[in-house]
Amino acid sequence: MKLEVKELRKSFGDKEVLHGISFSIESGKALGLLGRNGAGKTTTIRILMDVFRANSGSITVDGRPFHPRNFRIGYLPEERGLYPKKGVQEQLMYLAQLRGSSRADAKEQSMRWLKRLGVEEYAQRKLETLSKGNQQKVQLAQTLVCDPELVILDEPFSGLDPVNSQILKDVIQEQIEEGKLVIFSSHQMSYVEEFCEDIVLINHGDIVLSGNLDQIKREYGRNRLVIGLGPDYQEPEQVLRDYMGDLLRIVGSRKDQVIAEMKEGCTREFLLREFLERKLIPEEFGNYEPSLTEIFVEKAGDQA
Amino acid sequence: MKQFLTVLKFELNNYFKNKSFVLTTIVLMVLAAGIIALPGLLMGRDDSSSVSGGAESGAAAEETDGTVALFDKNGNISDPAAFGEAMGMNIEWVICTDSAQVEDAVNEGNAEAGFIVEDLLHYTYVVENRSMSDTLQSAFSQAAAMSWRAQTLTEEGLDPAEIESLYQVQPQYETQILGKDSAGSYAYTYMLIMILYFLLIFYGQMIATSVTSEKSNRAIEILVTSVDSNSLIFGKVLAGAIAGLIQCVLILGSAVGTYQIFRESWGGLLDNVFDIPVPVWAAFGVFGMMGYLLYAFCFGMLGALVSKTEDISKASMPVLMIYIISFFIAIMGLNDSNSLLVRAASFIPFTSSNGMLIRISMGSVEMWEIIVSGALLAVFCVGAGILAAKIFRFGTLMYGNPIKFTTALKKIREK
Repeated sequence: MKLEVKELRKSFGDKEVLHGISFSIESGKALGLLGRNGAGKTTTIRILMDVFRANSGSITVDGRPFHPRNFRIGYLPEERGLYPKKGVQEQLMYLAQLRGSSRADAKEQSMRWLKRLGVEEYAQRKLETLSKGNQQKVQLAQTLVCDPELVILDEPFSGLDPVNSQILKDVIQEQIEEGKLVIFSSHQMSYVEEFCEDIVLINHGDIVLSGNLDQIKREYGRNRLVIGLGPDYQEPEQVLRDYMGDLLRIVGSRKDQVIAEMKEGCTREFLLREFLERKLIPEEFGNYEPSLTEIFVEKAGDQA
Repeated sequence: MKQFLTVLKFELNNYFKNKSFVLTTIVLMVLAAGIIALPGLLMGRDDSSSVSGGAESGAAAEETDGTVALFDKNGNISDPAAFGEAMGMNIEWVICTDSAQVEDAVNEGNAEAGFIVEDLLHYTYVVENRSMSDTLQSAFSQAAAMSWRAQTLTEEGLDPAEIESLYQVQPQYETQILGKDSAGSYAYTYMLIMILYFLLIFYGQMIATSVTSEKSNRAIEILVTSVDSNSLIFGKVLAGAIAGLIQCVLILGSAVGTYQIFRESWGGLLDNVFDIPVPVWAAFGVFGMMGYLLYAFCFGMLGALVSKTEDISKASMPVLMIYIISFFIAIMGLNDSNSLLVRAASFIPFTSSNGMLIRISMGSVEMWEIIVSGALLAVFCVGAGILAAKIFRFGTLMYGNPIKFTTALKKIREK
């Protein structure tokens, strides 16, 4: 299954908030929708879920128009909410049945997910009597109870403690391995890096970066090196500027390492030879691979 | 359809598992049965006391309705005991020789009241504190007037008993009603209108609350992405309507069942209330229930316009006002079921539930009028349901202040 979003535009009143969003994703992969607050991630997801209608653009699955009602979709909205005064399993079964499961399947699946998430002892309890963390697990259970083909999670890690975050990470990883199509939005780049093959970075309603995460990182690391001079050098950046300034431009640092960009015409082999000739022996010398956070800040952080 | 049934079942369960719903139903059932059974139970207790209390019957016979002081200036009341019987009371008389004695007897509590009689047409009633339920004076007046008539007739040479019997004659008659008996159908029509009124007052708010709570607990986004909003609104509103109807049937059933047991005690007095003809049941089933649904959808619509349950009362006022107008037209129509007002009301969907029910039950109505009115009501009913679903969908993520109905309509039209 391949989901394609093309040129989505959406306005609220006179203000256009999405200026032509396009991306695609296939089953068995996870797509991370990244962006700052108000970038347009939730609006994009709500258009996907048919909560909002786009002003223009198209969404297709395997080339056919996408209608959410025709698919089993597990959706975790940004605005979390269930029935506080209803029993946990009762409402999970209700939501599963609304999404097409039979009563027997709904009962089996709801108990399976409650067990998987470690809250099966609360199955008959009212939701409002559970702790916040356990309520979040029930929210996740409602997302997956219908055995979805598509899993759409809007800020799933928001408000989760480290233990629950780990559970959620494991569950999302399982879904990907089971061949589900997973889309999720997040500010938390570390999670995105862990299981997203593809990312879409939205900023002020525009896609400013998209594609395969590894390729993006490689692209960003091209011509950039990580150089460590060792503990003998107190100011490695200054030393590199002094010794190698004609060949390298210093762009940043990570602890004791310096991130430097090779100037035009310079190659790694040539640079290594020059280090040796100039009697400056680096302890570390390698390709620079940026973190997603660094890419995010560079792409979206300058327009604050 | 499957989704609609799932919503309907879930919402019905919400009602049936709600402790206050169950408790209210049981309390009202017991109350209805209790009220109907009360006269029978009281009579039964009186009967048993009269049977078992044979030894006390003499004492009971001696019980008096009170002690009354009497000063008869001119000896007009020759036999006070007979006069008391004429008053319909068993009075213990305290005969006084002057007015002061009467006042003293009342003041000292030796008599509950007293009479100073000039003649049978002029007397003074003496009482310390006069209660609202004091019937002694009127009974005395009637007995005095009767004695005066008897004395006057005797003086004229006529037999007072013969004259009195002339006044007691009642004509024997039979009634042949060719149309409808408004007097007979008044009671059950009134009861059916009241049932509709209470159903709407109680369940309207509950339906609106049920819709609003989806927004207030933020479950709405999950719901509208899982189920079609028509299924959701129709399921919710119909569940409220069915729950109300079931509650109503249980309470009414309890009353009717108890009445069947204690009918003799009532002497068939409530036959007019419970002996409802089939066409009237049919009219109630069609017009009453469709009207109830129409208003229920309106309440559902109002629930969709607000996002906090505390805003519901204010938002539901316009719909309540419309129904109260319909209710007053119905109450007025009970006295003249063929008036122009009732005829007009029987065609307007917001008033036809009561209007047509009255006309079918108490007045005269043509079949084409029933069909046209029913069709109009059905169209409005479905229209209100669809509009409620659209408003619910439109207001999905509009939290905060209530949305104006006109704004919602405008936005829906723009879409």
